[in-house]
Amino acid sequence: MSALSLYSVQAVLLLDNEGKRIYTKYYHPPHLTSEQQLSIEQNPIGTSTKQQNDFELRLFKKTHKQNADILIFEDHLILCKEYVDTVLYLVGSIDENELVLQQAFSAIKDSLELILATGIDKKNILEHYDMVALAIDESIDDGIILETDPATIASRVTKPPSKDAQINIELSEKGLLSAWGFAKSKLAERLQQGI
Amino acid sequence: MSTHTYKKFEETESGVLPDKMTVYQDCLNEFNESPVNPRRCRTLISRLLQLLAQGETFPKSEATTLFFSVSKLFQQPNDSLRQMVYLAIKELSSISDDVLMATSSIMKDIQNGSDVIKPNAIRSLTRVLDESTAFSAERLLKSAVVSKHPSISSAALVSSYHLLPVAESTVKRYMNETQEVVSDLKTYPYTNGSSEFYPNSTYIAQYHAIGLLCMLKNHDKVALMKLVQQFSTGNLLKNQLAQVELVKLVGELLHKDPQMVTQFAALLSNWLSSKFESVQLQAAKLITSLPDRYVSPELFAAAVQTLQALLSVPRVTTRFAAVRVLNRISMTAPEKIVVCNPELESLINDSNRNISTYAITTLLKTGTSNNIASLIKTITKFIHEISDDFKIIIIDAVRTMCLKFPEEWKSLLDFLINVLKQGEGGFQFKNSIVEALFDLVQFVPQSKEVALENLCDFIEDCEFNEILVRILHLLGKEGPTTKNPSLYVRHIYNRVVLENSIIRSAAVVALSKFALVKNDPTLVESIEILLRRISNDVDDEVRDRATIALQLIESIKSEPQLYVAQDILQCKYSYDLGALESKLNQYMSANEDTYKTPFDVASVPKYTEDERKAIELKKRQEQLFAAPTSKRSGAASQSVDAEKNNSSYVGPTLQEQGEDLMITKYADEIASIEEFKGFGPIINTSKDIPLTETEAEFVVTGVKHLFKNHVVLQFNITDTLTDVALDNVSVVCTPEIENSTELEEVVTIPIERLMPSETSVCYVAFKKSEGNIMEGFLNTLYFTTRELDPNTHEAFEGDEGFQDEYEIDSIFLTAGDYIKGAFVGNFSACFDELPHSEVAVYNIKENISLQDIVDRLVVNTSCLPLENTQFAPSDSNTHTLKLFGKSVMSGARIALVVRMIKSSKGIALKAEGRSDDAQLCGDIVNELM
Repeated sequence: MSALSLYSVQAVLLLDNEGKRIYTKYYHPPHLTSEQQLSIEQNPIGTSTKQQNDFELRLFKKTHKQNADILIFEDHLILCKEYVDTVLYLVGSIDENELVLQQAFSAIKDSLELILATGIDKKNILEHYDMVALAIDESIDDGIILETDPATIASRVTKPPSKDAQINIELSEKGLLSAWGFAKSKLAERLQQGI
Repeated sequence: MSTHTYKKFEETESGVLPDKMTVYQDCLNEFNESPVNPRRCRTLISRLLQLLAQGETFPKSEATTLFFSVSKLFQQPNDSLRQMVYLAIKELSSISDDVLMATSSIMKDIQNGSDVIKPNAIRSLTRVLDESTAFSAERLLKSAVVSKHPSISSAALVSSYHLLPVAESTVKRYMNETQEVVSDLKTYPYTNGSSEFYPNSTYIAQYHAIGLLCMLKNHDKVALMKLVQQFSTGNLLKNQLAQVELVKLVGELLHKDPQMVTQFAALLSNWLSSKFESVQLQAAKLITSLPDRYVSPELFAAAVQTLQALLSVPRVTTRFAAVRVLNRISMTAPEKIVVCNPELESLINDSNRNISTYAITTLLKTGTSNNIASLIKTITKFIHEISDDFKIIIIDAVRTMCLKFPEEWKSLLDFLINVLKQGEGGFQFKNSIVEALFDLVQFVPQSKEVALENLCDFIEDCEFNEILVRILHLLGKEGPTTKNPSLYVRHIYNRVVLENSIIRSAAVVALSKFALVKNDPTLVESIEILLRRISNDVDDEVRDRATIALQLIESIKSEPQLYVAQDILQCKYSYDLGALESKLNQYMSANEDTYKTPFDVASVPKYTEDERKAIELKKRQEQLFAAPTSKRSGAASQSVDAEKNNSSYVGPTLQEQGEDLMITKYADEIASIEEFKGFGPIINTSKDIPLTETEAEFVVTGVKHLFKNHVVLQFNITDTLTDVALDNVSVVCTPEIENSTELEEVVTIPIERLMPSETSVCYVAFKKSEGNIMEGFLNTLYFTTRELDPNTHEAFEGDEGFQDEYEIDSIFLTAGDYIKGAFVGNFSACFDELPHSEVAVYNIKENISLQDIVDRLVVNTSCLPLENTQFAPSDSNTHTLKLFGKSVMSGARIALVVRMIKSSKGIALKAEGRSDDAQLCGDIVNELM
């Protein structure tokens, strides 16, 4: 029944313009039947980080500046999109319906575009790494396509908590006392260090 | 925390990652702080994830510590931090111990958390559960599945799907709720402005629910049928992925039982006109991948039409998918997709090179002898614009065409020569062209002279040593038998004058072969003069070769009746390389005693030039045929995947090699048996013939070995029972014609004991008279069964067992066993020239296709189909099959022309055979079926 399996996505990769990793996630079902275990071990990009790195570099070399949106590479179906200094890849099984994968791919791509309002580039991704990771996690759950509507995905991604940490000083007696205690101990610490 | 550590945090946005120990320490400190700073924690977790994504890993103890400190953050009620915590838990759970500890916190969130984090909590839950604890999540998952919120429902379904391998029974308990999800269309509640994006339900929960249901009802065909029925009616499925999944389900059912196609035909054609391209595509894929005879031509045509429409949409992926399916069809049934040719031609210049390459290779397959010339013209125009990788793919496609349409050799040759001489290009590209030309020279004799002449021109300025050497070898092999050998001599000698020593030595060998030309004494003389001149070369290898060649020529002149020298100069035989390799390996791996006797090269089978060509052609043909039938579209992927190009034509597939090796292995086993020592060498060995069903209690396959005066039948017997061993297994073969004088049983070698799930061999040997004996054998297995003690796997003591017998299928010794396929360049000339002829007519009442007949004939006669007649056209009712072979006993040639006509009454065959040997001819023609 492997053709019916919902595990259709094998990896999502974000590489920079030299083929180095920005975000990579290779998917495996969290609980494996022995059969799946075996197939993962035989899969060249199964588990070893080195093999995955090599795979990424080969893939990058093959697609860089090629304007290939879809290709078959080493028995994987690959969808890719190049931005200024990043490339987004989605790696799927070779027998998977291309258009289904395309759906998942566009979902990730478009939701990232929504989240990173100023455009998809390396700096922006690194600055909002938490949101990027959440968005991809909301699109694909260990290889299963979870959602394909970019707006839905974007709405599920929370923003980081507001900048100023909550100032939480209780103005009760105990609060003041503890604040005083804290200040005192800090001061003593500094003095001991000889500042 | 002091000010400067605080500073370091602010810098993190720069994208430079701190090392993993810093992150580890920071995480531990920060997460244990009280009160925690949610914003900083989230940044830290994201940095942790970034590290993990880079491929960093933590040792198990550290990961566990991390996991626990992350789970401390559950005390913090901030949703946006919580979401990140779940992400960290998902990542860390696979590398930490004791992840179960987080279960209760997660479950609390599933019950009381906000809608934002509930789905994340549910999805994390599966990571921390295992086989023994999964049941505890049943109630939570069940209520989440029926939740009104689509994300929560989806998360629960996906999580259940993940849990299947460990907790199928748990998931089964809420199957009804799962089923309801499909019909219950959930929309997102009106958002209260918490997010700037408006979620838009795609009803993707339907997809997850169907996927889960399919898995749960996996083994229940009736239930699956019911699912299809239920979900395909009306407009129930809104989600396109769900629809695709349903098509896949139908596909799975049909692949198990293709007879049901008619039942689903209406549904399938409905899907072909679905509003979703993905559904159209999946349906078309399914229809075109089903076995031919079950799909009505109308349905197939509709599928092709759908694909045709998909070819001209603006979306790259759609075009790619469609052209990929067409490419796959083109390998089996090119005539069915000829309608798409105009669209395919417009795709040749597609901006995505993968698409254009698929389009071209497809076009090359659909090409008929009529439009090849124009197609080649189109390709010539643009081949210079594309990269080497794609050029190679195209050249390979052209190369298969050379075999398919030998009569079109002229335009193909022109094209190859053209690209060879004009284009720049790397070694791989040039090599593939030269390979294609070699094929032409070998298998299309008419093209030989033109091709060789052009190759001569090419080597004048070829920069690749390897290619030059190969061409020189070919010139040496083929040149002497052409009309005008002296032409090639000049070209070869030029190389001697101008090139480096590697090429010079190759050229010397090639030159020396021209000295064997019979009717041109002046040429022989001038070769000798040239060689003499070369023997003063600066390079010792070149000198040596020239001197040896001169010596050999000398000895041929003085003693023309001795063929040794001639054989060395121009080999008539080549060894079976596979067999040679395995023999040598055996020799090397044995203990040192074996080195005392020299390696016996005579035990390796030798092939004459014709036989070798026959074998190669056969392999090519099988490759042509095997590529599309292999279920994975491996061949198609190869054609696009340039990295694999080298392998696309290298030798036989593994399986074929396996067969070759099997024969060698059998031969070795027989050679080691004392009783068979006197029989002499094996002349021919058949393939394995199954004599029982593969599910039978005892699985038997038979192999026929022919000796000069003996026949040995080998039975490979496998005991598939688990608790019964067989003693004294023997096979009794009774010739169909009793008291036949021609066959006389000599010896039977039984199997003493056959343990469960073991395979052993039983031999039966017959002595036969000189001629070709045809006979059927009725076979019965005789044995004594013994029950085994399940604990010790030893037979019970004192159990005497009881005698039993088991009937297996008959094995037939046919005329085909005396024949080996052979290659001949000009079939019709050869056919006319053979003296004895025989005609027979057959009428076949079975309802089978012409292709089936052709396949059967090829197997029965063990001849080699020539002139591309092994493919019967599926759109015509007539076919002519041309077969050629040689007797393994006498070497007599046999040529067969079988004409067949299919009508409503069945198939009529008229076979005409010509041979050197009248008896063989009669036997084979009268025993075709």
